[in-house]
Amino acid sequence: MADRADFIEFRELTKVFQQENGRDVKVVDPLDLSIAEGEFVVFVGPSGCGKTTVMRMVGGLETPTTGDVLLDGRPVTGPSREKGMVFQSYSSFPWLTVLSNIRFGLRYRRDVTEAEKDRIARHYLEIVGLAPFSDFYINRISGGMRQRVAIARTLAADPLVLLMDEPFGALDALTRERLQLQLLGLRRVERKTVIFTTHDVDEAVFLADRIIVFSARPARVLKDIEVRAELPKDRSLEVTELPAFRRLRREVLALIRNEESMIETTEREILSEQ
Amino acid sequence: MQRQRDGWRELLAFRGLARPRLEIGIGIAAFIFVIAVWDLITRLDLIKPQFLPSPGAVVSALYTMLTTTDYIQDIAISIGRVWAAFLASVVMAIPIGILMSCYRGVGAFAVPLIDFVRYLPVPALVPLTLIWLGIGESSKIALLWIGTFFQLVLLIADDARRVPIEFIETGRTLGARQFPLIKDVLFPAMLPNLVDSLRITLGWCWTYLIVAEIVAANSGIGYELWTARRYGRTPEVFAGILTIGIIGLLSDQIIRGLHRRWFRYLS
Repeated sequence: MADRADFIEFRELTKVFQQENGRDVKVVDPLDLSIAEGEFVVFVGPSGCGKTTVMRMVGGLETPTTGDVLLDGRPVTGPSREKGMVFQSYSSFPWLTVLSNIRFGLRYRRDVTEAEKDRIARHYLEIVGLAPFSDFYINRISGGMRQRVAIARTLAADPLVLLMDEPFGALDALTRERLQLQLLGLRRVERKTVIFTTHDVDEAVFLADRIIVFSARPARVLKDIEVRAELPKDRSLEVTELPAFRRLRREVLALIRNEESMIETTEREILSEQ
Repeated sequence: MQRQRDGWRELLAFRGLARPRLEIGIGIAAFIFVIAVWDLITRLDLIKPQFLPSPGAVVSALYTMLTTTDYIQDIAISIGRVWAAFLASVVMAIPIGILMSCYRGVGAFAVPLIDFVRYLPVPALVPLTLIWLGIGESSKIALLWIGTFFQLVLLIADDARRVPIEFIETGRTLGARQFPLIKDVLFPAMLPNLVDSLRITLGWCWTYLIVAEIVAANSGIGYELWTARRYGRTPEVFAGILTIGIIGLLSDQIIRGLHRRWFRYLS
């Protein structure tokens, strides 16, 4: 299978939200960007910059104001099984057990038989290491395990692209590290295209093939960084000790800090006007 | 490890831990306390018996009603009316409430109408139900239905609205849409709250039952209660109130028990 360079394509994408006071807020400036098949792309940027909105437009959960998102050559018109999403919280169903939650990812697939679905669900259950907890209800397992359930369930649905919206944001540092390694391990097996948002610059550099740094609102691409050109393909925790890792980390951090300080300037200006 | 507080201290701690047995014991003690005070008042003749008969007189009146009259039948009739009207409300309120919350158009159409009816005092509608439906069973059931449906449908719409958006979006990104989304995600997610809403409305249903039976009936607990009043048989009036209270307490506890059993996954 040849990897397509423009597997996901943003074409002059913009998004304007209407506030309750009737004023329009431009969240995404005309955005042109291509993501190749199999790429792991991390979106970073100051908080509230619109990176999540961009991702949600890929997922079909937000409609672009103008422009298009193309997935595999076809415009995205709404949510579907092709665009799997992992949220930061609340996404596993408490009324189902761990295994049934994963099985739910296959519920609307018509390309596999019921027996196949059971087999696939068990497969992903084992891949994320939750086999001993298959009959546990969601409220009985930890936050890290819940995110593993969500990831397994999304992969079981066999999407074209995996969208992860700050999936490890609510976890403690050690759990986050373990899940990052698991995710990289999964990627070696699955080769899915992934878009991932995070506030954690270390996480971004550690996971990414490529980092897109967004500006403060309205989101614009500040910098497109090819991480894979500078870091080894197979990442382990030792990677974080490499000079290249530190340099990338510093670079991304500097870009975001600079944007954050500009936000502060704007805030001061707004205050002084009043 | 934190040392466990003993049961009594826990009960008075702010949001203390559950002590189920002790709590049930206290609930029973509350009843015993009220009955004891009541008994004391009547024994000391502080209030005349035609206003406040002794607990013993009420129990013996209840016993006599149960053994020598058709009171059991009245109870059965009342329970039947409540459940007929309640089930009719439930069957209609669940789909309509869910649709109201899922589709803005349906909500925009239905909410103002429902709010209008909801604020009408049910007794004000008694004459109308009598004119339309006569004094048969249907007018009483219609009255109870009016009293519960319009409340319940809004509660259910709220329950549906409170389902976290992440559940819905997860369902959609896994391929669920329209009816499967409601059936497989929204409904199971809202079910625990829905059962609570049903429990609360069932209580209201009993309130309106007594109104309906007092105004236009020749059977049922409310009718017996009203008849007893007319002949000044206060112990029987109390016996009627006691019956309703016991039925209410029992059905509430049964639904709570089912809730705990069905939704064990929430704990």
